[in-house]
Amino acid sequence: MEFHPQPTPGTARPWAFPAPERGALPNGLTVLRCHRPGQQVVAVEIFLDAPLEAEPEGLDGVATIMSRALSEGTDKHSAEEFAAELERCGATLDAHADHPGVRVSLEVPASRLAKALGLVAEALRAPAFTESEIERLVGNRLDEIPHEHANPSRRAAKQLSKELFPATARMSRPRLGTEETVRRIDAAAVRAFFDAHIRPSTATAVIVGDLTDIDLDALLAETLGDWSGNTAQARPVPPITADDTGRVVIVDRPGAVQTQLLIGRIGADRHERVWPAQVLGTYCLGGTLTSRLDRVLREEKGYTYGVRAFAQVLRSSGPDSGGAAMLAISGSVDTESTGPALDDLWKVLRTLAAEGLTDAERETAVQNLVGVAPLKFETAASVASTLADQVEQHLPDDYQAHLYARLAETGTVEATAAVVNAFPVDRLVTVLVGDAARIAEPVKALGIGEVTVVTG
Amino acid sequence: MPMGHTATAQAGSGGLTATEHRLANGLRVVLSEDHLTPVAAVCLWYDVGSRHEVKGRTGLAHLFEHLMFQGSGQVKGNGHFELVQGAGGSLNGTTSFERTNYFETMPTHQVELALWLEADRMGSLLAALDEESMENQRDVVKNERRQRYDNVPYGTAFEKLTALSYPEGHPYHHTPIGSMADLDAATLEDARAFFRTYYAPNNAVLSVVGDIDPEQTLAWIEKYFGSIPSHDGKQPPRDGTLPEIIGEQLREVVHEEVPARALMAAYRLPHDGTRACDAADLALTVLGGGESSRLHNRLVRRDRTAVAAGFGLLRLAGAPSLGWLDVKTSGGVEVETIETAVDEELARFAAEGPTPEEMERAQAQLEREWLDRLGTVAGRADELCRYAVLFGDPQLALTAVGRVLDVTAEEVRAAAAAALRPDNRAVLVYEPIEPADEAAEGEDGTEGTDAHEGAAK
Repeated sequence: MEFHPQPTPGTARPWAFPAPERGALPNGLTVLRCHRPGQQVVAVEIFLDAPLEAEPEGLDGVATIMSRALSEGTDKHSAEEFAAELERCGATLDAHADHPGVRVSLEVPASRLAKALGLVAEALRAPAFTESEIERLVGNRLDEIPHEHANPSRRAAKQLSKELFPATARMSRPRLGTEETVRRIDAAAVRAFFDAHIRPSTATAVIVGDLTDIDLDALLAETLGDWSGNTAQARPVPPITADDTGRVVIVDRPGAVQTQLLIGRIGADRHERVWPAQVLGTYCLGGTLTSRLDRVLREEKGYTYGVRAFAQVLRSSGPDSGGAAMLAISGSVDTESTGPALDDLWKVLRTLAAEGLTDAERETAVQNLVGVAPLKFETAASVASTLADQVEQHLPDDYQAHLYARLAETGTVEATAAVVNAFPVDRLVTVLVGDAARIAEPVKALGIGEVTVVTG
Repeated sequence: MPMGHTATAQAGSGGLTATEHRLANGLRVVLSEDHLTPVAAVCLWYDVGSRHEVKGRTGLAHLFEHLMFQGSGQVKGNGHFELVQGAGGSLNGTTSFERTNYFETMPTHQVELALWLEADRMGSLLAALDEESMENQRDVVKNERRQRYDNVPYGTAFEKLTALSYPEGHPYHHTPIGSMADLDAATLEDARAFFRTYYAPNNAVLSVVGDIDPEQTLAWIEKYFGSIPSHDGKQPPRDGTLPEIIGEQLREVVHEEVPARALMAAYRLPHDGTRACDAADLALTVLGGGESSRLHNRLVRRDRTAVAAGFGLLRLAGAPSLGWLDVKTSGGVEVETIETAVDEELARFAAEGPTPEEMERAQAQLEREWLDRLGTVAGRADELCRYAVLFGDPQLALTAVGRVLDVTAEEVRAAAAAALRPDNRAVLVYEPIEPADEAAEGEDGTEGTDAHEGAAK
């Protein structure tokens, strides 16, 4: 073949993260709307300010059961009818409860938005919460627990939360509840949680997609506008604290062919100035397969299919509000390579702390993080989800748009400092789900902290 | 470079258009313009998948796909990843039974780079391929296999069901991930021969979709790909023809450390690209797609015997497709109870067919899935390649949803009656064992895969 030199890029076409239009309905519901031409599948994200922290003592999981029960019947439709009507719109509806609150996500072709939004409004305005359906959801949830327990990455996440957070904190316990707590949940508990925490005045609806030919104001008035509730403020949440004393916990899985790694602690959230530098530095450490971790663990040693470093906001309600992000490194390595892989991982962290990032690394990371934005936000669902995250974390609507400018301004020194502070070698809690008989000794020999083994 | 179809929207295509072109070396090109967002997708399908692999070398197509990211004539080391990501793009590759695809989504002004990179590896991969990357990626792929299949509950179910559904020696008997033994056995020379046999412009379709100038794009494609020689070393895959109906119920019981009993089954269905396959898709959606399906209503809502119950469809063009049933039991419920209920529901459906409401729901669900797939430039580029490679006509991608909406209730009933019956399925039953028993049982049958093997996430 005839070789040609690598082409030079053309001129970039400007792109900006979409700016939503913010408003409110008479019932107090905040509405963010964003017209995205060509996106025929409209995404609606509704954030309900009902944090897991608000679950009554001993009823962990009630927010989850309530979220699921929202789509299991209303004052007008039985559970089966409701599911059928939604699917008749070609819609998908998902509701789940997490630390910051409950998120209800609808995706539906624009032509059937009116009908589907009507159903969602009905679910929020008048959920049935029949005893029979709640009993079924509780049973179903109990059946799910062993499946999650058997999954190595879910199991690791559960153990890390237990290790990091004080036993009294809701965050230390499984988000969806334990067998013991879920068993106690009944229709009355679900109704009580709903009545106490779900109301339009503390909720926000984000609507994104091709809204041509849709009279959204009229549609909102006759759907979500019909939902009523008191105007009490959302309850405050306590600050997040964690014990990140360097240590290792092995969850024993005799015979496992791989070890699941989850190494973490907590750190800065999006309200802190360091966030863009932390994003940049974390990407350089483990954002992709050409980042520092995979360059060694995958592309040089072949220990893994991939290891990633990330920062994920746990809960955050403003500057100095005691919010935090989980900072973590996760992946899986073959059992035999567990010791050597962790040894290399720590070496990567130590080298990074000693020598810092290079300007070239920082440049590539910026190019990628900023450059992929138009790709990442091509669909209505991805835009809606990011806008709803901003609402959930009490960030301004233009946060994401500004983040790109701030990333571009972040220098190599700042990014290095941020990632080194985020992942200090002696302040990391390491959870390993694997065969203790084969991995415990090699891991102890590394001196990365006290090693304990738990079963189950 | 003769121009093919003109860019006139066809009925039911949602206003999308595509043009077709062919280079002198046989490379087929499909272009589709869309200027809403300043991005474009480059997608390259090679007409080679795990069905082309020979005995003793399962997993080679997928392992080879990984090697395509290890540098080429003018690109060093991980350069394919570094250059695309550094240009603000994203990229990956996947391998299935029937094809291997590579794709980049780029900001508009970086499309030329993606074309240059794909041409470089199509024309000069062997200049960079060495023993070191072969050994390294062999280990990576073995860890991919462990992570995705061997170290997760039920992870090897798909591999087991596939092996049951397609007889020994059939090109679809094994899945793309391959066996550990075969991955160990693959040599650098195998990889070289694989490239020389299958990686040629006349065995590929390139699509570019999004914010592009078609004339300029075509000129770049001619510039970078035009001088890559074609060759005809490729042998057609082994014949995948099978009788329409299996004719008996195949069955395997697995005793493993899993959290609950499970009933899985694969039904033999019509080939992809046929109206009967679309009818079967609708039947599976009514029976087991989503939360208003018959199986969900019966097993999860009413009988409360299952945690989850549903049907999926694996569309295949070169062999019968598979309708995939997956039910995880609740508490101590026996598999027999589930099986009886499933058979009742399938028999009732085969006799009565879908209600008008069920047809409407199933068609609305499939329509939304199509809108989702065609809603991104990457999804559209992939579908255009799919229809070009498997069915010879990319335009079919733009009208696919119309064909699904055209199917009648009677056709759906007939599809179910013909295929969703006990003598046309392979059944896999999981019976949990306690951890301590495992050593005695042995853990030899560690296999499994999805239809698509991602190279690098």
